[in-house]
Amino acid sequence: MIEISNVSKSFRRKSALINVSLKIAKGTITGLLGPNGAGKTTLIRMMNIMLDPDEGYLKYDGQLLKKAHLKNIGYLPEERGLYPDMTVNEQLNFFAKLRGLSREEAALNSRYWIDKLEMKEWSHKTIQSLSKGMAQKVQFAVAVVHDPEFLILDEPLTGFDPINVDLIKNLLFEFKEAGKTVLLSTHNMHRVQDMCSHVALLNEGRVVSDTSMHALLEGYKSDRFVVRYRGTGIAFANALWTDFELAKQIDIQEGLVEAHLLKRGDKSVDDLIKNLQGHVQIEAVYREQPQMDQVFMALIEKNIIE
Amino acid sequence: MRSVFLISWREIKQRILNRSFLLMLLLGPLLILSLFYFLVQAADEGKQQVNVLIADPGDLLEGIISSRENPTVHYSFISDYVTLTEFKSGKVYQDYDVLMEVNEKVLNNKKVFVFYRDYLSNTIQNSLRFTLERRIEEVIIEEFSDLTVESYRQMKQPLNIDFRNLENPTNSKMGDAGWVGYFFGTLIILFTLFYGMSILRGIAREKSNRVVEVLVSVVSPGQLMLGKIIGVGISALVQLLFWLLVISLGLWALQGVFFSDFFLSESFLGMHFSDGAHEALQTEFTRVRNNEMIHLIYDRVNLGLILPFFFLFFLSSYVFYGAFFSLIGAAMGSERDGQVFILPLVLLLIFTLIAGCFMVMNPDSEFTAICQYIPFTSSMAVMVHLAMGYAVGTGYLIWISLLILLFSTVIMLWLASKVFKRSLLAYGHQINLKSVFRWMTRG
Repeated sequence: MIEISNVSKSFRRKSALINVSLKIAKGTITGLLGPNGAGKTTLIRMMNIMLDPDEGYLKYDGQLLKKAHLKNIGYLPEERGLYPDMTVNEQLNFFAKLRGLSREEAALNSRYWIDKLEMKEWSHKTIQSLSKGMAQKVQFAVAVVHDPEFLILDEPLTGFDPINVDLIKNLLFEFKEAGKTVLLSTHNMHRVQDMCSHVALLNEGRVVSDTSMHALLEGYKSDRFVVRYRGTGIAFANALWTDFELAKQIDIQEGLVEAHLLKRGDKSVDDLIKNLQGHVQIEAVYREQPQMDQVFMALIEKNIIE
Repeated sequence: MRSVFLISWREIKQRILNRSFLLMLLLGPLLILSLFYFLVQAADEGKQQVNVLIADPGDLLEGIISSRENPTVHYSFISDYVTLTEFKSGKVYQDYDVLMEVNEKVLNNKKVFVFYRDYLSNTIQNSLRFTLERRIEEVIIEEFSDLTVESYRQMKQPLNIDFRNLENPTNSKMGDAGWVGYFFGTLIILFTLFYGMSILRGIAREKSNRVVEVLVSVVSPGQLMLGKIIGVGISALVQLLFWLLVISLGLWALQGVFFSDFFLSESFLGMHFSDGAHEALQTEFTRVRNNEMIHLIYDRVNLGLILPFFFLFFLSSYVFYGAFFSLIGAAMGSERDGQVFILPLVLLLIFTLIAGCFMVMNPDSEFTAICQYIPFTSSMAVMVHLAMGYAVGTGYLIWISLLILLFSTVIMLWLASKVFKRSLLAYGHQINLKSVFRWMTRG
């Protein structure tokens, strides 16, 4: 869908992007991660043709990215911006028409998104009279009102309550299922792990990692296992033998214990289950997932050392 | 182009539906008309209703002049001489404002003295002058010729000696006409300043609330700038056209209702004329409309010529200055930033207003000539010059001024769009000349 090839950009003497190459595949939700000043916004602005690269190029569906492609791109900037004196309905119509929709299409799409995002009651109110959360919804609707193929979202869930977070998350999954592409730039690692199938990590203007979420997490696979069982602690400890080391145990309900284990050697979940069978009643066994923020930190540290 | 139209339309809607815009739409021209009305009244200061005592020892005029001709002037007669001391202090004369001395020799020496206590308004002076002149003329015709009054007046064409500048032989009293040009020039400058500031504030606000980030992800900065300049410009044009329409209607209404007594008519003289005599008199009446301001506005200025050029220079000047204002707006780091840059621009506009006065008073000076070719001042200089009249064969100078202004406007738009593109997404900095220059010159 989007191909970024050897792109560099400097502002005066400061390099914002250095030889960045990325591919964002069609029908994926890709997370764009990086600490402040990593070059995420510069890269996003290039994808919106708001900035030109000093070197390299960007492609959209195999063609060099040009203005004509903008009608297929939706953009939700981190710094939210709407006309405070325009109503929700006027705002959506205005941006839909700017994105190339006819008057009728703009009206139709605006109505659709007003309904979909449950904004009907206040669609005739001006932005300045809305709460921050409501304005956030409008901002999201502005980004998608023209039914784009590629959606760039910079911190899309900031300012939403949990109900609306779910609403937006589900919408993004709908987008993905419809074969559309989403680029999600966020600091919230938990969200990335939740939603993204692909992750690109930027640090100091360079790409540190560009891989699938699965591959990334595999690279940082945890040696910890979690077992939930019913039975005695002695029986459980005996069943572990020398293959696993008990790190901690928590009584989470009456009779139900959660044990955190550290594996020794080359042992797998299968080995653990075999060991425990017949000794305790197993309720659940899983390998502890590496936390995205830990992966992020590890990648940054690795990049700094390198 | 559609994007430019959409942005312009949004700007137009935002302004035209604004309550203060609608208020100013009416208040502005009413204010100007009131000002005009007071200027006219001020030009006609003096006593408006008078009692005239005609000292007529030869009994030439009694029964010929009557107060019916002009209800504001009441005539009384005395068949004797009245000395000035008597008139000044005598109790019987205290009710009279004016003493008109018509001695027996008046038919030969044509000399009449009019003494007044308080200054008389132009209207009254003209009324007295005309009434007396016409009636004595009638007496002369009756006494010394076999002609009828009508045929005499038909023959009597006044010799009109008009003093005019050799370099500018089209207009007689250029100075006064120049002020009409100055009025049009001022309209251009005021609208440019007001709406230029509106562009600047609009851009600064959009930068500050970050909507500009969404906008430039859809349209190019150049389109955004052009859309704003066009949209705000059309709003300005709507207001200006409305103002001119209301002012024109107002002047027409004032002419018919308030200033009717300034326009001489047959009834004013209490006479009826044949067509030929009427035409001859009409020429004379037009010359002597008895209020300079009225005469200036309704007769002397060639609005048919000024108005098309006014609109051409208004639009060019607005876009020229508009590009400056949008450049500053885009380069500003925050809504409060940029005062340092606005000030010289505002001073330049104020300078043009002051320079306009100098141009009216010194139309042939080198300064006025130079100002016509400087894009910052050309609109004012051309308006003043146009109102005063260009000498035969020098009309092409207007087109040279316009071409220079248009060329400068194109350059300014190009520079502004460069700054606009590079600075629009820069926030939080403090605007400085070095940055602006860098944004202008960087490839």
